[in-house]
Amino acid sequence: MATATTGNFRCMMCGHDYTDKVEKGEDRERSCPKCRSNSIRHMKKKAADK
Amino acid sequence: MVSQPPIEELRIGVFVCDCGLNIAGAVDCGAVTEYAETLPDVACAVRNKYTCADPGQNEIKDAIHKHRLNRVVVASCTPRQHEPTFRQCVREADLNPYLMEMANIREHCSWVHPNDREAATDKAMDLVASAVARARFLQPQEELTVPVSKRALVIGGGVAGIEAAIELADAGHKVTLVEKEASIGGIMAQLDKTYPTMDCSI
Amino acid sequence: MGPKAIDAGRHPNIELLTYSEVEEVSGYVGNFVATIRKKARYVDHTLCNACEECVKVCPVSKPDEYQMGLSSRRAIYIPFPQAVPCSYILNMDDCLGNNPIACGKCADVCEKKAINYDDEDELVVREVGAVIVAIGLDVYDPTEMDEYGYTRHANVITSMEFERLICAGGPTAGHFVRPSDHERPKRIGFIQCVGSRNPKIGRPYCSNICCMNTIKDTLLLADHYPDTENFVFYQDIRAFGKSFEDMFQRSKETGTRYIRGLPGDVEEDPETGNLVVTVENTTQRGGNGRSGLERYELDMLVLSVGVIPPKDLAKISGMLTLSKTSDGFFMESHPKLKPVDAPTRGVFFAGFCESPKDIKDSVCQAGAASSRAGALLNAGQIQIEAITSRIDEIECKKCGLCAKICPYGAITWQKGEVATVIEAACAGCGSCGATCQFGAITMRHFTDDQLLAQVRAILARKPEDKVFVFACNWCSYAGGDMAGISRIKYSASNRVVRTMCSARVSEDMVLEAFRCGAPVVLVSGCHYADCHYINANRQTVVRVQRLWDKLEKAGVRPERLQLEWISAAEGQKFAKVMNQMEELRKTVTIKEIEHGREALKPKPKKAAKKKEAAATAG
Repeated sequence: MATATTGNFRCMMCGHDYTDKVEKGEDRERSCPKCRSNSIRHMKKKAADK
Repeated sequence: MVSQPPIEELRIGVFVCDCGLNIAGAVDCGAVTEYAETLPDVACAVRNKYTCADPGQNEIKDAIHKHRLNRVVVASCTPRQHEPTFRQCVREADLNPYLMEMANIREHCSWVHPNDREAATDKAMDLVASAVARARFLQPQEELTVPVSKRALVIGGGVAGIEAAIELADAGHKVTLVEKEASIGGIMAQLDKTYPTMDCSI
Repeated sequence: MGPKAIDAGRHPNIELLTYSEVEEVSGYVGNFVATIRKKARYVDHTLCNACEECVKVCPVSKPDEYQMGLSSRRAIYIPFPQAVPCSYILNMDDCLGNNPIACGKCADVCEKKAINYDDEDELVVREVGAVIVAIGLDVYDPTEMDEYGYTRHANVITSMEFERLICAGGPTAGHFVRPSDHERPKRIGFIQCVGSRNPKIGRPYCSNICCMNTIKDTLLLADHYPDTENFVFYQDIRAFGKSFEDMFQRSKETGTRYIRGLPGDVEEDPETGNLVVTVENTTQRGGNGRSGLERYELDMLVLSVGVIPPKDLAKISGMLTLSKTSDGFFMESHPKLKPVDAPTRGVFFAGFCESPKDIKDSVCQAGAASSRAGALLNAGQIQIEAITSRIDEIECKKCGLCAKICPYGAITWQKGEVATVIEAACAGCGSCGATCQFGAITMRHFTDDQLLAQVRAILARKPEDKVFVFACNWCSYAGGDMAGISRIKYSASNRVVRTMCSARVSEDMVLEAFRCGAPVVLVSGCHYADCHYINANRQTVVRVQRLWDKLEKAGVRPERLQLEWISAAEGQKFAKVMNQMEELRKTVTIKEIEHGREALKPKPKKAAKKKEAAATAG
């Protein structure tokens, strides 16, 4: 059922940090909501965040 | 570790195209040709007015024989346009077509950097150096020949799809015409009269 | 078109599949495999004799799509009298149901027993050498342009509705009346460019056909009803084709008034249903202190609606890996020299789906497309570019990773066995070559040696001044070509290396660029929907993510590696990205570059270390 979680993303062009939905098996092109760059890094959650 | 090119003696010919003023107008093609001569394994570097025209192609063929070239670099336009031309050209001089490499100094260089001759020339030199470096590792390739299925698929049964299907069918080809609606005819079937002759659409 | 449609319906060489949709196309030029869904019609057209008894008993009434909803049809119907095939269809979404208690009347009266409620969709598979895409257009829905009141005022109609209202085969049998009171309108206005040449609603392009269509409409009205007064509100009249200008002049001679200006507002008189249009006549502006603002009271207003890309375009585009131009229609291989070829070999365009065009141009293009496709079929065989993948049986460690990521299933592998490539199925994207950790895969003509040599050659001189770019053949490299053809200027610091797909770019190639002193590396490829190797560029994302982590771990600013999707049509974006990369390059210090060179040096592998140790010990 609910396979959507949230993930932390960082735009490697403008540095914008944001969270977005991550669906299991999703197939979508990501772009920065601020600057439209496609250099979107999916940030791994650090151990401290868990 | 830097790998070494695989064969004994490499003899690369570089052909730098002016493309009239399309390239030469923004890039110092003379300087690029001179620079090409200094690159490893380059046996000759030639500047052409229009490399793709017959005289230009003949220069490539002559140089292949004269200088015993076994790799060719053409610095001209995008390979997306003239790669087939130059592959065929070297084939006619008995060189495997896959031993020809292109450097795109027009679409990716002269046309987009028209006001900075120095920077455009420097970029063209790098693109030629890149193509020469690649050419040193090129290997002859044989293309696989596969049969063509004797049927065409036409997607859409409007006036364009109908026409295309009939033309192919009249020429003796089998055609599968797929229309998502229950009848062919498309939007045109909904029109009353059609310009410019005011006759009925159906 | 009637005779042509009939011809298509009974041509011995044409297999006509209506009420059918292409679900999947696999394969490659000369050898496509199409899976087509023939949707259930619930009426066997080989038995149906079109006696119409079923229609008489069907109790359902639905808006008739063919008549633009201006009249109704039953759940069982023929789309229009000249339909090909001329056979009934039962729309199960409208039908009361196959339960005899609910209805079942049509089956009862059908003497031929042609109606089968249990009919099912059927999948057919066809092997085809060439594909012609002729999926047409959709008509713009003017609901969003509320200023014209299409949904609020009864007597505001679209040009498509006009076609049905004036057609002898239409809902009023050709008696032209207006919707509110079924009276014949005497003063009729036409508003041009509704949904065209309007960047505000995202439709900046000209729809090509609407000017001439309106001119035709005014001539029809003048012919059928000489006492009507026609008013056309326009921004430009585009009458450029053969005999078009002549039609335009004739329209003016009939008294049709052409007013240059698009109305800002349409109001309805609630008493009469008439429409009051306020428009700034721009040919009158400024003269003798006149404002140019004019008001017209009209009996009816026709919105000359534009055309838009068909909604199936994305689906077909994905199946055949096609691209769109900025207007949303299909992109051709070359705008002037290969106008009917798709970028995918063996695929051709006919008609509106490539760009707005009229019937004559559609027919011309269809002829051209069939000629191109015919040449391919006639050739009987075709050469496949020698860029396929090869696996070294000795180097292969039998891990099977390549088989897993191959978008074409062109690599076969079983546990404990060496992977093998089916050459005819391999498209040469190079994703496997970049994925293999053991150097066991060679991409013919795009080898590691060749690409690494390019990296080193480009960065041999003054690497700190350069932005290193990997670009894929089909989209981002072509986007660069588009910038070139369009003469869009941008920073000259970039150096592009072409691969067939961005997925060919291995981690080592990117790292080698940094080791050679590149301040910035850009990996670029097709947008997700455009990937020419089904979905190979998803591997690019995986690789770039991993590289960002690696760079960070090595103390190299990960921002120095960038990723962009640029389509073949996006020359503007290509130029913009190159300028952005140059700005980024300026922020990278020599110290950073030097640190990166060292930090990213390959570490000797454990196995190699062991070997070395063994050697020294021995």
